[in-house]
Amino acid sequence: MTTVLLVDDEKLILRSLEKTLLRAGFDVVTASDCKSGSETFAQNSGSIDIAVLDLNMPSFDGMPKTGAGLDLLANLKEQKSSLPVVILTAYDEVTKAKDAVAGGASAFFVKGREQGLVELIEKILNV
Amino acid sequence: MTNNTHSERHVTLLKAAARAAKNFTTILDPYELLQRTVDIICDEFGFYYAGVFFLDDAKQYAVLKAGRGAPGREMINAGHKLAVGGNSMIGASIANRQGRIALDVGTEAVFFENPHLPNTRSEMALPLIVGEDVIGALTVQSTEEAAFHDDDIAALQTMADQLAIAVQNSNLHRQAERRSRLLKAANRVGREVTSILDLEQLLTQTVNIICESYGLYYAGIFLVDRAGEYAVLRSGYGKAGRAMVADGHKLKIGTESMIGACIAMSEARIALDVGEERVHFKNPHLPHTRSEMALPLIYGGKVLGAVTIQSSEERAFSEDDITTLLTMAEHLAVAINNARLIEELKEAHDEILRNKVFEALTTASTEAIHWIGNKTLPISLTVARLREEIATGDLDVASLQEDLEMIAESATQIIQVKEQLIGAVREQRPRSVLLADVLKTAAHQRQFSDEALKVNIDSAAAYVIADSTQLARAIGNILQNAAEAGAKSVKVTSRLTEERGVLEIDIEDDGSGMEENVMQKAWSPFFSTRGVDHHGLGLPAAMHVVSQAQGRIALVSEKGKGTTVAMFLPRGYSNNEPVETGDAKTVVLIDDNDDWANLLANLLKDSNVKLTQTTDLKNLPAADLILVDEHITALSLTDVLSVISSAGLASKTVILTAAINPERVTQFLRGGMKDVTVKPYTGGEVSELLK
Repeated sequence: MTTVLLVDDEKLILRSLEKTLLRAGFDVVTASDCKSGSETFAQNSGSIDIAVLDLNMPSFDGMPKTGAGLDLLANLKEQKSSLPVVILTAYDEVTKAKDAVAGGASAFFVKGREQGLVELIEKILNV
Repeated sequence: MTNNTHSERHVTLLKAAARAAKNFTTILDPYELLQRTVDIICDEFGFYYAGVFFLDDAKQYAVLKAGRGAPGREMINAGHKLAVGGNSMIGASIANRQGRIALDVGTEAVFFENPHLPNTRSEMALPLIVGEDVIGALTVQSTEEAAFHDDDIAALQTMADQLAIAVQNSNLHRQAERRSRLLKAANRVGREVTSILDLEQLLTQTVNIICESYGLYYAGIFLVDRAGEYAVLRSGYGKAGRAMVADGHKLKIGTESMIGACIAMSEARIALDVGEERVHFKNPHLPHTRSEMALPLIYGGKVLGAVTIQSSEERAFSEDDITTLLTMAEHLAVAINNARLIEELKEAHDEILRNKVFEALTTASTEAIHWIGNKTLPISLTVARLREEIATGDLDVASLQEDLEMIAESATQIIQVKEQLIGAVREQRPRSVLLADVLKTAAHQRQFSDEALKVNIDSAAAYVIADSTQLARAIGNILQNAAEAGAKSVKVTSRLTEERGVLEIDIEDDGSGMEENVMQKAWSPFFSTRGVDHHGLGLPAAMHVVSQAQGRIALVSEKGKGTTVAMFLPRGYSNNEPVETGDAKTVVLIDDNDDWANLLANLLKDSNVKLTQTTDLKNLPAADLILVDEHITALSLTDVLSVISSAGLASKTVILTAAINPERVTQFLRGGMKDVTVKPYTGGEVSELLK
């Protein structure tokens, strides 16, 4: 079973995405900020196959931060460099997409188009 | 002629010479001097004609400048001049620096052939000498044969010498007077132009002032272009000037034009259309120019441009004038530099403003996009999943219920935004409202404790022109922000500012404060540092309310120290108009003994209404009308309304509030209350209430 780590501070988005992914047959573990996302990954690093991270959410100090998802991306890559990561954002912003790729993200996904998120995850993982 | 007769004539001549000399040495105006000299000489001596010649600049010709009567005027108009050292008496007297006589008598009779002076029979020519210089010559002519003797020359030469001195004095006087006039004009230009700070206005007015002050034909101001290649005409006097500016008239900096050379060499230039070496003035817009001067505009060692000043008179400018006019140009250069600095500052300010507005709009739109995306996403996502589940027939009631809740919650959040941005109700027009009362209402609505609020309202700043409902909302948002920033206390002060009719309300908290970057985004809708449950609309909404009240709002914050929000609003006034009462003669007010209760008591004190204020629900006195403050610190409104309803007093009860809300109005009216309305703050409003 493929396990997805989903991190987003918007609880309705988190839950709705979780349900969509569960329905598609994935296992989902969730967190609502960088700190809990990092900890959740550390605890489940053996089973998590891919991470989907919100771009803007509370950073490691608990304060909301633009681009905090990139901090968590770096943190997860330190823990497991081969981990595929998808950055999820409400902003359709090229600079941030480039930053994400430079940080090792496999994809940059703009919220509102996530009907394709399941297919994207399957494509990245070749499942 | 006998010796005696000769001597008498000589004495008469000497006396006449003395009188003539005395007369013209008192005349300072050069034009008058020359005209009157020829008349005085003719009148005193009984001569037929007298004329004064001056040497031209090249000292080649003696040019007639004044002549007796019609013949004199005709010859001047004809440009009568005689070559120095030529065959003429005048030419010879100048060349030899000696007086000469010609007589139409005897064997050496001279033939006088001047057609303007047909009756001349004797002539004497006397050089006009000042120091070492011959400046011209005087001719005197008689209709008598042999009117002059050689020894008369000395007597008349003395008069001619006096005339030469008078001419020199007159010239000096004229120069002094002219210089004084130029200095005055330069001062006027300096004084008037340095106070103008708008560049276009400065240049336009300066050419007008120059032409009017100096009485000149034309003035124009050229400024060096950015490349330093051309002097561009920025302002010109009159129609000609406007036409040339419209044509984009410009001159290359260099030696091809006076202006170009003046700028290239950083020095004044003069061109005069006189003498034998005439300067050809070609500008078709300025056909009457006969003299031109170009003055550089120098500030801090840099040539900013040049002024051209032009006269329709020949020889209008001398080298001496340059000094005076340069002073004017210096003033002008300072003024231009100041105006340019102001212009540059304004441009820089506009640029900053543009960037700030762009930044603010970007931040606002980014936050809005983010917010909208996050709030609508659960709806679209859930709907997509539901459709799929329905299509596959794979329905789970519990999951379905959860999905519906998610959709409902997202929708609620979106609706809340409308409520926060627009608010509930607007009054028709702003009015004078009691700030203390609005503040108390705002604090009460947001459950902000009275102990944490320190209020200091200057009596002159007690009233503010605003919509009390909206102002309560704005202040409430600020108090809520303070509470969420962990403030232990909030200090509210209100005082008059130096700006007429404006008061400043400062709301200062000791909460966590903000970083500089957060502070800059604080006014952007949807920006919040407090997580997804906050919409970031408190401050933008407060700004909206204050702007609508014709006020402005500012924010100062320091991380770790707290935040101060300053609202600048129009000052309101209590008014003492008498209260007109209606049927209600006894009124009970259920309220704390607060600022508004005191105001109401004060407004009613001279009326025939008996007002009783109480919070003792057990002992409510009988009354025609019961007024209830919606926000009472000492009592719960629910208890108050319950007692009133139980006592059957609801139909006599009016609920008053600083911040009205349609839901509560409906609720109270359905509870049987007589009315719900905004609190009155003036005598007129109390009269309205009691009707």
